[in-house]
Amino acid sequence: MTVDIRKAVFTLAACAALGAPYAVKAQSTHDEQQQLIAQIQTDKRAIVLKTLALDDAQIQAFTPIYDNYQVEHKKLFDRAADLLDLYASNYESMSDDVAMKILKDWFSLQDDEVALIRKYAKQFERVLPPTKVIRFVQIENKVDTLLKLKVVANVPLAR
Amino acid sequence: MSTPVAMRRPQGRRPATPRILTNIQSRFGPMRISPLAVALVAVACPLLASAQDESPQVQSIRTDEQIILSQIMTDKRAVYAQAMRLSDGESRAFWPVYDEYEAKVKKIDDRFIQLADGYAAKYSTMTDADAQQILAAKMKLDRERMDLQQAYTKKIARAVPVIKALRYAQVESRIDNELQRKLMQLIPIAP
Repeated sequence: MTVDIRKAVFTLAACAALGAPYAVKAQSTHDEQQQLIAQIQTDKRAIVLKTLALDDAQIQAFTPIYDNYQVEHKKLFDRAADLLDLYASNYESMSDDVAMKILKDWFSLQDDEVALIRKYAKQFERVLPPTKVIRFVQIENKVDTLLKLKVVANVPLAR
Repeated sequence: MSTPVAMRRPQGRRPATPRILTNIQSRFGPMRISPLAVALVAVACPLLASAQDESPQVQSIRTDEQIILSQIMTDKRAVYAQAMRLSDGESRAFWPVYDEYEAKVKKIDDRFIQLADGYAAKYSTMTDADAQQILAAKMKLDRERMDLQQAYTKKIARAVPVIKALRYAQVESRIDNELQRKLMQLIPIAP
């Protein structure tokens, strides 16, 4: 598990490193970013499945719901990448309007992240024991926190 | 950007594993504790001396979380003082709002500590009902914390230039993530 987490964190750190310098968004960068997000999600899926230690019946019930969760979570990753783009491209001379837009978009993203995990925790409660659902939430939160710490390490504070 | 005070790794000799961590390990069984967690709690251990003298056999996870929260909250003001680069006029507008927020978020932190303590107490014998109740309470606290952060960032955006409110939100988010990471090191995943 430790190795998988390191791999996922490394991948996102690379993603963040890509995001920081580009004021002009290039298609190749976008494609690489998409690949990295896909890699993070693959690694995270492996971590979650390993840590939840589900039996066969639970795996059959869990994985379709989890894969739907990943599809929705991917949209949040994309929005976060767009937000990072907006921040990077306005970093040198950010107007109050742009700063306010970034704050609003960021808050909206936070709201949707919390709503998404809550929505899927409820779905998992229908097919898994509650202790496994807590585990799912804990693992997601843990990976999410580690990834965010790695991302912000590459993003300077607003001037 | 230089590392904020609250996030710096303590310097100097490597600390011995404090007794309090041994007690957490005995409470939850074998678990991996990183050197950073050891160092962090070791740094905070002087604060614990009297509590340990009074009650050497009862060390709850609550105490460890209180230490971490208290250490971070103490350093937090200094981090903001350095990071926000406020003029005198901005300072006069910013700090009352900041202090109001911190007073409110402390109440949420206290409830989180109670929840984590309940989680620790029930860890070995957790029923489905316990797990459901803990999960619901944790999600409610997360929602309340986020609502509070957002509401006060908007207040700060009315008190100082928006770009500085954005800076405030970035620092708050970084400290919060670092705090979460440290607390996660103390709290094992559900059995």
